[in-house]
Amino acid sequence: MQEKFSFASGYRSRTIFRVCNIVFFILLSLVMLVPILKVISDSFDAKAGYALTLLPTQFTTDAYKRVFTDRELLNPLLISIFTTAIGTALCLFLTTTSAYVLLQTDMPGHKILTWLFFITMIFSGGMVPGYLLIKGLHLMNTLWSCILPPAISVADIILMKSFFESLPQSLMEAAAIDGCTPFGIFIKIVLPLSKPALASIGLFIGVRYWNQFFNFVMYITNNDLFNFQVKLRDIVLNSTDLQNSNASDTVLMSRTVQNACVIVSMIPPLIAYPFCQKYFTTGVTLGAVKE
Amino acid sequence: MQNTAATKEIKTGVRPHTLAARIYKYRYFYLIMLPAIALLIIFKYIPMAGVSLAFTKYTAFAPPKFIGWDNFKELIGDASFLSALKNTLILSLVNLFLGMLFSIGFALLINEIHRKLVKSVFQTILYIPHFISWVVTASIFYLILSPSGGVINQLIVGLGGKSTYFMISEKWWTPIFYLINLWKGVGWGMIIYIAALSGISDELYEAASIDGAGRMKQMWYITLPGILNTILVVLILHLASVLNIFQSVFVLQNDLVLNVSEVIETYIYRVGLLQSDYGYSTAVGLFKSIISMLLILVTNNACKKIKGEGIL
Repeated sequence: MQEKFSFASGYRSRTIFRVCNIVFFILLSLVMLVPILKVISDSFDAKAGYALTLLPTQFTTDAYKRVFTDRELLNPLLISIFTTAIGTALCLFLTTTSAYVLLQTDMPGHKILTWLFFITMIFSGGMVPGYLLIKGLHLMNTLWSCILPPAISVADIILMKSFFESLPQSLMEAAAIDGCTPFGIFIKIVLPLSKPALASIGLFIGVRYWNQFFNFVMYITNNDLFNFQVKLRDIVLNSTDLQNSNASDTVLMSRTVQNACVIVSMIPPLIAYPFCQKYFTTGVTLGAVKE
Repeated sequence: MQNTAATKEIKTGVRPHTLAARIYKYRYFYLIMLPAIALLIIFKYIPMAGVSLAFTKYTAFAPPKFIGWDNFKELIGDASFLSALKNTLILSLVNLFLGMLFSIGFALLINEIHRKLVKSVFQTILYIPHFISWVVTASIFYLILSPSGGVINQLIVGLGGKSTYFMISEKWWTPIFYLINLWKGVGWGMIIYIAALSGISDELYEAASIDGAGRMKQMWYITLPGILNTILVVLILHLASVLNIFQSVFVLQNDLVLNVSEVIETYIYRVGLLQSDYGYSTAVGLFKSIISMLLILVTNNACKKIKGEGIL
């Protein structure tokens, strides 16, 4: 199976091509990995950044200790964990129920509901009306401003809906004939069958909450409520000393700590994603519509 | 759940005829949808109504005052807006072009690796950058490209060159922006083409090679036509969101490179949120939303023609 079309002539040129191809992908993989490896190495290196090797010159774990003990870094980390937990639970609940209800074509009001969701996919009020709304609701400088607006995600609802559609319909028909109500079918049959999809889409949502930062940039001005992404942006961009001096009260962090923060903030998504590989292809197509 | 009339109807497979009975049958769904509907109306529909601010003069110091189309008249002559529009189109389209070119190329090459394990290892490595948030990506590259101790500048100095602050140089910022986007997106972009490639039947290749078609000919006459639909769909999907480029720019830009890096969304942020000119920035946003809406509707129709189903 390794050589699908092996014909004696051209065998040599094919071998050359295959070797070159593998070498090419090894080089490409290095391009992808080296920036990350350099950051990992620097996060363990007391003299971060001054060596051209991918191994720490002066090994230390102090930077990581600092991330988990220094209040200034630990607090954003806890905020990230908190908003991710609450946001994911809420968003997953809304996504699952909305997706299932949108499939109930017989339900009165189904058409209106579908349109209600559909319109938000093609038109949005934009950044400034959204900002004024949060201000008007007095949600500025509360974590709700970063939890509630992203909780309705039409792309995820469509992803979930396409999963529900793939479930065997005969099971639900049988349950309906046995006298199960539509809601009973949802709770007793659909949800237990959907555990893998719930887990994967939940991870997608969780990663989004973890990585979110622009809502924090817009709605949060109180330093104590920054999440880890915003904090990271703050310390890296400030200490690489761009003119952005608006957050100059931040203590300058050493390069090692900056690198450690980068690593800490990218670990949860890297752990989560292998579990939702199955949904990548669908996710790519759907994601293209959104930002 | 104990309502006998409703359950009897389901048992006999007859749809409840009265509206009330049907509403009753789905009563829990209405209840469970209340929070979703509430959030949808508050956070999506109220801002939609808020676009009416585009027709007012509204700043942090003065309440909204109706001024008709004045904001839009100003928009057409606003040099910063036009420059932002130009940058948006350039950055977006070049990004799209480079991304597709490399994704398709790499997908074709990785498809030539027949050992499953090797292929999936490479694929997984190429995905990795996609999982890293934009803030982290920007941080990584700011650290690497930093003039004080960044690896790249260490190398340049070591080779006898002069240390350059790439991220604040107008000349360097754009190419670096494209490179970072490629680094982050190319592996992810490949997925859809790899899926399309695996859908091409092996028999076609066998038949072709029996007929004496070489590798290049096979690629040209079988592989490319086989993924052409996918290429077109990806292209128009991305064209629909061409004005939405934002996060990547926002995290990588800084005040010194605004000339080449200001895009529509970052311009709205600057004028609306930082300078508190709410009325005018809403007008810019409305302009963007309407063009985006038209693009989505047009591309959705195009998709329907190609794929037989729309994206919406």
